[in-house]
Amino acid sequence: MPGPLALVAGGLLLGASVAVAAEPVKQLLPKHYQARVVAPRQGRALLVNFWATWCEPCREELPALVAASQQFKSRDVAVVLVSLDSYKTGRTAVPAFLEKQRIPFVCWLLKAHDAQPFIELVDKSWDGALPYSVLYDRKGKLVGRLSGKQTQSSFIEAIKKALS
Amino acid sequence: MKRFVSSIVLTLLAAAAVPVAAAEALKIGAPAPDFTLPSVAGGNVALKDLLAKNKAVAVIFIATRCPYSNGYNARMAALGKEYQAKGVAVVGINSNSTEPADEVKEHATKQGFTFPVLKDAGNKVADLYSANKTPEVFVIDPKGALLYHGRIDETHDRPNDVRSPDLRNALEAILAGKPVPAAETKSFGCSIKRA
Repeated sequence: MPGPLALVAGGLLLGASVAVAAEPVKQLLPKHYQARVVAPRQGRALLVNFWATWCEPCREELPALVAASQQFKSRDVAVVLVSLDSYKTGRTAVPAFLEKQRIPFVCWLLKAHDAQPFIELVDKSWDGALPYSVLYDRKGKLVGRLSGKQTQSSFIEAIKKALS
Repeated sequence: MKRFVSSIVLTLLAAAAVPVAAAEALKIGAPAPDFTLPSVAGGNVALKDLLAKNKAVAVIFIATRCPYSNGYNARMAALGKEYQAKGVAVVGINSNSTEPADEVKEHATKQGFTFPVLKDAGNKVADLYSANKTPEVFVIDPKGALLYHGRIDETHDRPNDVRSPDLRNALEAILAGKPVPAAETKSFGCSIKRA
């Protein structure tokens, strides 16, 4: 469960070197998305990136997200990941990938037999295509979406809008 | 300056990708756009010809390199055989700019697809349908109206644990002359690699 320690670690990592080791990947049940991913980060803009190790553009855009996040202070912006890998294979594949690629963000692994309720819960306008990112303002209100592979610039622009 | 221009170009490219991906999906009951595309096996296939000869047409946007889509290969091959025999045409469309026609042909042969697989160069048909990912299914009635849009079922990697066979349910309802029970469904999938 991502308690204060995870929150602090996630925040500090934003401005830190990408050489910092990734945190252990946590299990996420759909019903816990708001309480564990979004709510604890209110007060900062939040970008949640949905990805999977099987998704090539997801893997390709993560370095750009790391670079973009380093342009912001940890007290202003949080970036977290939610992996949509199969729970069975993701428990080993996801942490191995994050560690190898030195991706420093907090990451959850979705545990759900059927993705549809989770997709609807996160964003009704999302059709499930990956990669996908949603942005929340400091009050935890969903204020932006990024569909498809992004660049460092497009991530930065979206985060700036969430901060404004 | 060069760096600044590069940054602008990258931003514009990323911004340009979003409206296409976010284009409004076809509504259930709306007319499905007609198309004619080359089959990777040779010749052209026109939607209107398939509609004229069948009780329904299932258009599935597929990929060769997407593990999520590939998780459904055996089920797509089986569905194709089963429903073609019942008077439903199944057609695969590959709109990925990264997957050339010869690769798509080899993939279809290897997977035992008996339904036609079409190459959508320039992703024109994907744009017409606002198709965004693979696999993504559109089922169309003989009058050209969209009856079902969404997934094949809810699990790409547990074919023996399918609890919500949404495409099969839709096709059975259509063949029975009944309303489709869940006409729109969602699942994860690889985004279509547009040109």
